[in-house]
Amino acid sequence: MEKILTKKTFPKWVKKLDTYEIYTPILKDNTWSYELIQDAEALDLDSLNPNTTIVEAPKKIILPQRETLLEFSTAEDGTPKIKASLPEMKPTIILGVRPCDAKAVSLSDKVFGGEYTDSYYFNRRNQTILIGLTCLTPPSPNCFCTSVGGSPHSQEGLDLLLTDMGDKYHINAITKMGEQLLKSAPELFKTPNAEEKSGVKKLLAESEKNLKRNIAQVTKISEKLKDLFDSPLWDEEAMSCLRCGICTYLCPTCHCFDITDEVTSSSPLNGKRVRVWDNCQFPDFTMHSSGHNPRPDKASRLRQRIMHKFRYFVEIHQNYQCTGCGRCTSLCPVGIDIIDVLEKVRDYG
Amino acid sequence: MDDNDYVPQLVRIISIKDEVRGERAIKTFRTQFIEKNGFTHQCGQCAMLSVFGKGESMISISSSPLEKDFLQFSILKTGRVTTALHEMHEGSIIGLRGPYGNNFPIDDWKGKNLIFIGGGIGLAPIWSVLQTALKRKDEFGDLTLFYGARTSNDLVYSQELKDLKKEMTVHLSIDQEEPGWEEFVGFVPANVLEKKPSPQNTIAITCGPPIMIKFTIQNMEQLGFQDDQIFTTVENKMKCGIGKCGRCNIGKHYVCKDGPVYSWAELKTLPQEY
Repeated sequence: MEKILTKKTFPKWVKKLDTYEIYTPILKDNTWSYELIQDAEALDLDSLNPNTTIVEAPKKIILPQRETLLEFSTAEDGTPKIKASLPEMKPTIILGVRPCDAKAVSLSDKVFGGEYTDSYYFNRRNQTILIGLTCLTPPSPNCFCTSVGGSPHSQEGLDLLLTDMGDKYHINAITKMGEQLLKSAPELFKTPNAEEKSGVKKLLAESEKNLKRNIAQVTKISEKLKDLFDSPLWDEEAMSCLRCGICTYLCPTCHCFDITDEVTSSSPLNGKRVRVWDNCQFPDFTMHSSGHNPRPDKASRLRQRIMHKFRYFVEIHQNYQCTGCGRCTSLCPVGIDIIDVLEKVRDYG
Repeated sequence: MDDNDYVPQLVRIISIKDEVRGERAIKTFRTQFIEKNGFTHQCGQCAMLSVFGKGESMISISSSPLEKDFLQFSILKTGRVTTALHEMHEGSIIGLRGPYGNNFPIDDWKGKNLIFIGGGIGLAPIWSVLQTALKRKDEFGDLTLFYGARTSNDLVYSQELKDLKKEMTVHLSIDQEEPGWEEFVGFVPANVLEKKPSPQNTIAITCGPPIMIKFTIQNMEQLGFQDDQIFTTVENKMKCGIGKCGRCNIGKHYVCKDGPVYSWAELKTLPQEY
């Protein structure tokens, strides 16, 4: 289902969505991130400027940086008491989500689903509607989504996709949920005419041509990685790494976490078991209690990041665990460039 | 909480036995569920034990699945959680979730000779499959155990080992000479090489420190064992137990759910990340 919504009418539609919690890109502390807007009327259309580089991925909405898994205490006789705290999230919309970030959510769905379903993740995920915005021009100079199976107008993970047509949005409903959102306020939308239909087609086609970065022959990489486990390449590429972990914290697909107990009172015992984002670039991520560490140096940890995204994940889920958003490259303090590393892998030997 | 894999069940520690004292202390804990449930496990599987306020630790279940009265864990005191476990008393209540991981394919081994090769605390992860084979003795050929530790005081299950000698061949070893020690002196792999078990219709199951496993496998190959006749169980740091937290992987395998049991044929295809 395709619809047209004028920008003038747009606030009315957002107002109709007031039963949802709405997150949009917001400039907060000089950084663009997806944040909850308190009042639909306060939505600034600048938030939906498709050229804005959004530094923080929306993963924190579905997989918070820190969340309580359970609370524990002891009864008078010393018996532990446990109370699980599964999240109860209100129906939520992420409005203006970049297609690469929406794709990242669908990749995370694969991680948290499968043989074991992570109820904490899916209690939030199942309440979340993703309304995307086509990137008419690449929001980052390091965007390379088209190299890893994405596109500036990818529909993967999205319920609706908006495309900015100047004074109006073209809206494509991708899921039933998306269609329902449009049907709930039919008076606000009109059906696109032939000119609008061809106009949006042209915009989408154009959007793919604007990316400044690209990896040729990307399919060679997964195969090539099979022979590079013991390569000196990793030492060379990781030499300048400061192990700050920004590459994975900002990555929209990185999902690794730690589980740890926090005690608020020891006698009687009271505390929480919390899950917090963790980071494969940190030494103690894999260190055994004996001190033995299967990934003891920066090289082996960079190798894990690249191998996981471009080999292991492909073997398990038939997808790269990378959406080409370019954040890890743009924000790395020492300029480790994932495209550069991948090209070296491709051309190695 | 059937739909929530992170919430442990409560178990009561019904007995604690000191196996090894001192710096590298090992204790064996037997636990029972406070509320009866349908928990069953297979040989080689693990459980995530909780000491509330300290955290969780993944531990091999060392009792046989045929043992219905309790679950047994032998634990080396080494980190925050295992130290807290060592401070527990009989009657203390801890958390348990699981079981996790794959298992030793014991049913595929019917009619074969089984050789168990353990070093130090590494006897615990293969103890459940050893006990199961012993309880189903008629289904297998000869059963043999090679087991060693740094000193005679570091051997776990010392009483059980004495009883075991009545039922199967047991070759013990310690790393260095001690007055009164009449068995082999030297490392476990060397003991195996000296006794020269035949690879004919035989499966070898080994667990111990990484260096011991490495040399054991080398020596088994030297004795003519094929890659699919050698099994081991590996460990890596784990947090979730269900393949989500991202740290225990060896290549694309998450040890918590795809492991911990591997044949050497499988393990040698994976990167050396354990």
